[in-house]
Amino acid sequence: MPMTFEDQEADPFGYGTRVWTLFNEAPRAGEFPEGEPAVVTGQAGTPAARSVLRVQLKFDGDCVADARFRAYGCPTSIAVGAWLAEWAQGKSVAELATLTMKQLRDALEIPDDRAHCAMLGEDALKAALKVAHHPS
Amino acid sequence: MIYLDYAASTPLDERVFEAMLPYLRPDGFHGNPASTHGPGFKARGAVERARAQVAALIGAEASEIIWTSGATESNNLALKGALEFRGMPRAGRAVHVVTSRTEHKCVLDTCRQLETQGVSVTYLKPDAFGIVSPEQVMAAITPNTCLLSLMWVNNEIGVVQDIERLAPSLRERGILFHVDAAQAAGKLKIDLQSVPIDLLSLSAHKIYGPKGAGALFVRRKPRARLAPQMHGGGHEQGMRSGTLATHQIVGMGAAFEVAKADFDADVAHLSGLRDALWSHLQTLVGVHRNGPDGSTGQRTAPHLLNLSFEGVEGEALRASLPEIAVSSGSACSSATAEPSYVLRALGRDDELANASLRFSFGRHTTRADIDTVAAKVIQQVGWLRELSPLWKS
Repeated sequence: MPMTFEDQEADPFGYGTRVWTLFNEAPRAGEFPEGEPAVVTGQAGTPAARSVLRVQLKFDGDCVADARFRAYGCPTSIAVGAWLAEWAQGKSVAELATLTMKQLRDALEIPDDRAHCAMLGEDALKAALKVAHHPS
Repeated sequence: MIYLDYAASTPLDERVFEAMLPYLRPDGFHGNPASTHGPGFKARGAVERARAQVAALIGAEASEIIWTSGATESNNLALKGALEFRGMPRAGRAVHVVTSRTEHKCVLDTCRQLETQGVSVTYLKPDAFGIVSPEQVMAAITPNTCLLSLMWVNNEIGVVQDIERLAPSLRERGILFHVDAAQAAGKLKIDLQSVPIDLLSLSAHKIYGPKGAGALFVRRKPRARLAPQMHGGGHEQGMRSGTLATHQIVGMGAAFEVAKADFDADVAHLSGLRDALWSHLQTLVGVHRNGPDGSTGQRTAPHLLNLSFEGVEGEALRASLPEIAVSSGSACSSATAEPSYVLRALGRDDELANASLRFSFGRHTTRADIDTVAAKVIQQVGWLRELSPLWKS
């Protein structure tokens, strides 16, 4: 369905308002300082696919005390990074492990042709959890 | 919103709008230009005046202008019509057409369609600036070559081909020369009295005229004959049937007349804006100009600047500039779509072809617009690079 003028004001490219807001505000964008203790990093995607997401989780015991993300990719993949960093707050490793691509897609209203962006989020989190399970 | 997409389409010039109005009003000149009565003659007069206005900008005779619905139709008519008139393709007869990889889609797709009919087509690869040299063209000519199609100004990167030098060589060899000038009219001096082009496509809405109107220049001496692709009442010397859209044609004529009168001022204004934006944006690291940068003596159109930005993803770049209407080289709606085929043909890698923006300027663009856009682009490219885990400043 074509966008109305009102839609275009709120979301000019038709990404959906959740994605559009997170892309523009990008809360928790950035990185923890090098050497910060209890931080695990997970990364997914490739430059060739023009999509790379890095997620950092800072643990306090078993729970995430804070999180950061950096992303190179389309607005949806940037929004996925921002959503993940926000969602992870206060969650235990066991809770984090329950995240599915579907949950991500539902939360951000990601359409079928952008499903790969949600998969990027799931993969980046899994990569971080792998490090959390097997810290070097 | 700052509109920097004049190469995609321009608004109507106020003078064009005023010229069109009498032909749109319910109580205006509504006659069919083909009718033989008062209202018909009035409409016919307006159409013929517009024909002369279009011809005047390009150094042609009015009788050499054939009205179409736009440059896409003009390009289709030129290529298909020229070959069909000559009885090509015909079983047992090899027919060869030469064009370039960076032509507009409507020329490339027409060539692909001709290939399905048995025509063989050479798609020349331009150099890194987008230039197809006359020598390269002549080297591609075979005894079976009957037509060359080349655009004067490329719509994505603004490179200007050396049509003036190429045309006489083709005439000497008896090869028909078609030029897509949709982006060139009003931006470059075109004088078809001195440049022996046979067929030339024009559009109204790239030059402050209405959408849905275009023209094909068809040379009379020597006559470049065409088989019609639209059959009907034999309008337009039998080359393009269909009742003429008087108001659109009047608008196109007015737009070309304004373009002729304002030519020097337009070109000075546009090239000033282009150079100002390039000068601003060169303060960023990792910015590449696509097409000639003017430093190597090649020509570039005044109204267009195409840049690639390292370290940012193209779709995010475009989306980060919602208050600027600009074209992007990124593939926007699909994970599998390819970035700009024009930039790829220049040898840009996928990443840089994707992370490109085409800024195009017009009569209504101001220096203040350029300053605002430059500041915003610098800010947003910086932000996206900071966001990227791959960017190393």
